[in-house]
Amino acid sequence: MRETFVIAKREFLERVRTKWFVAMTILGPVLMVALILIPALLAGRGGTGAKVDIIDQTGKVAPLLSVNLQKLGDWKITVVDPATTDEAELAKVRHKQLNGFIRVPADGLAKGSTIYRGDNATNQVVQGLLHEAVPIAIIAARGVPLDKLDTPSVRAFHTTGETAGESGAGTFLLGYIIAFILYMVITLYGINVMRSVVTEKASRVVELMVAATKPRSMMSGKILGVGGVGLAQVAVWFLFGGIALAYRTAILKALGAGADAASALPSLDALQVVTIVAFFILGYLFYSTLYAAIGATVSSEQDSQQAQMPVTMFLVIGMVSMTAITGDPRGSTSAIMTLVPFWSPMLMPLRYILGGASPAEVALSLGILVVSILVIARAAAKIYRVGILMYGKRPGFAELVRWLRY
Amino acid sequence: MSTALSVHAVVKKFGNHVAVDGISFEVPRGVVYGILGPNGAGKSTTLRMINDIIAPDAGEISILDGLKPGSDAARQIGYLPEERGLYPKMRVIDMITFMGELRGLSSGEAKKRAGQWLDRLGLSQWAKNKVADLSKGMQQKVQFATALIHEPALVILDEPWSGLDPINAEVLAEVVEEIRSSGRTVLFSTHGMEQAEKVCDGVCIIARGKKVLDGKLKDIKRASAADGLVALGWVDDAAKAKAEPVLADRALVAEQRPPRPGDVADAEVKLADGVDSQQLLAALLGAGVGVRRFEVVTPTLHQIFVERVGAAAAVAERRDA
Repeated sequence: MRETFVIAKREFLERVRTKWFVAMTILGPVLMVALILIPALLAGRGGTGAKVDIIDQTGKVAPLLSVNLQKLGDWKITVVDPATTDEAELAKVRHKQLNGFIRVPADGLAKGSTIYRGDNATNQVVQGLLHEAVPIAIIAARGVPLDKLDTPSVRAFHTTGETAGESGAGTFLLGYIIAFILYMVITLYGINVMRSVVTEKASRVVELMVAATKPRSMMSGKILGVGGVGLAQVAVWFLFGGIALAYRTAILKALGAGADAASALPSLDALQVVTIVAFFILGYLFYSTLYAAIGATVSSEQDSQQAQMPVTMFLVIGMVSMTAITGDPRGSTSAIMTLVPFWSPMLMPLRYILGGASPAEVALSLGILVVSILVIARAAAKIYRVGILMYGKRPGFAELVRWLRY
Repeated sequence: MSTALSVHAVVKKFGNHVAVDGISFEVPRGVVYGILGPNGAGKSTTLRMINDIIAPDAGEISILDGLKPGSDAARQIGYLPEERGLYPKMRVIDMITFMGELRGLSSGEAKKRAGQWLDRLGLSQWAKNKVADLSKGMQQKVQFATALIHEPALVILDEPWSGLDPINAEVLAEVVEEIRSSGRTVLFSTHGMEQAEKVCDGVCIIARGKKVLDGKLKDIKRASAADGLVALGWVDDAAKAKAEPVLADRALVAEQRPPRPGDVADAEVKLADGVDSQQLLAALLGAGVGVRRFEVVTPTLHQIFVERVGAAAAVAERRDA
């Protein structure tokens, strides 16, 4: 126990002292905010002030459409000859004289289908403007009086009946951010444990260590020490996050976003925070134990890149499945994936925040995770004990099984 | 006398290869003890088993009167592995302190002693540098400090002289002497017989995983001397001619050998079984031989080693064939 602590202390101090750690801890939140804000800010760009031609073969849609697009998006609209070909317009786009063009075909009024082609067609703001302005212009051209054109609106609120109903977008965003941080930190520090093991083997210090202490103490000390660094880093980040949330209105205003955006971010209750922390710690233990065992089976950094692939794949699958959870938090896919220990650390907090999981399900998931960690730690300790003194060829699966029986 | 280490009938196999094949020896406290053998003899494997790095397949190891290899024993052992390795990115002083703490010292005490060791090894100005910044020789000294910081009762050094320059070899010899005079025990492995002969009280020679001989160095040398090797010198060529028939007498002399390199003897003989050296002297004088030199040779450790290990290897080869 004492040796585990001494080793954990070394692993912790050696990392915390590096410039890399200090930089990541301070820059981490900045980067994360940038990661979220920059796409949002970029999304707005190109949406306004676009140069767009309208080819109106009906002769009835263009007047209102051009007025509306100028008004809504400050677009520079030119209504061109209806006989203009797509090729001529595309050439203008190619030569950057134009962002894009709208074609209302001759049967556009009857069938209601218009086409937009442009270099900004994937831009969300552009799409939003088109979806808003084009139908109104067509419906008006069909002869509906303008004062009947106020489109009814719908606002979506996320709830599963347990909470009063927060803004759906805000809950999704928060859930995503937390799941992403969990994924990132678990990956980052899990791999850190593996690299630390590989470094010990490569620098041959491992024999000195094994003589002084048990391999089990080495492994647990390493996992605890590196995990402590991760925990410290996340704690700093959440402190930043807490401050940011407390002053979010002021911050968002300074960045140019409205007060609406501020109120859209929901808060977490104590149980949710405890759940997130529990899954973070257990998820880290689960993956770092796996990574430690992998580190013990290889002799060099290059080998470790390959050896870690299967485990990293599981992490990535979990990451990719986040949309499956947010899309249907109470569905069977969500229910199953959040019980599997490879994915539950990232996905269960997300599902729980979205209100898709009952406390009993969370408890079951935690229980499965704890049991898995105990089983894996036993196996990993054996692989570690044999592996750290082995150099050369990476063991095959059969050999690993043999190590388990030593 | 209490024992620092007792190894009894220890066996270690790696697959089909028997690395250590029933080795036994005993190291009393307060001595310097050498495990000698050619490359691949099983020296490092034996030391690793004592350090609980690998477990023996059979046999018993008892450390400091009854401790089994493991955590409790580890606090009283200092170990310099054959594979030298330190944490390259750690500061020198932290590296030594860390090993002290791991072997049971308090953090403060470990730090204090680490400073003292750096002073002693002339590395004080490097204390805050990273280990990787040091030259190989300096890293070796840091290695010694990590093995000795907790003042272990049993110091185990695997090939401690390999890669040391003469000055650092001298520092090491001093340190070894100091440990012995403080009543603690040093166990080391080497294939360098000269160093071993200078510092060892006792030795165990092993080859191909088997023990060839062990005991106090003095006893081994005396016993080898009793094997009856005599170096002879004649006053002149006439004396040499007169001596020939005496040396040819198989009742007295088993064989004549060429003089060892560096020795200026005119002849060297091995006495026949049961013949005392005095009988040969009497026979030579009786034959009127002018004897200039008559010396019962004490072989060097190197000679004993080559002779015994060579014989063992020959036996093993015959067995393998």
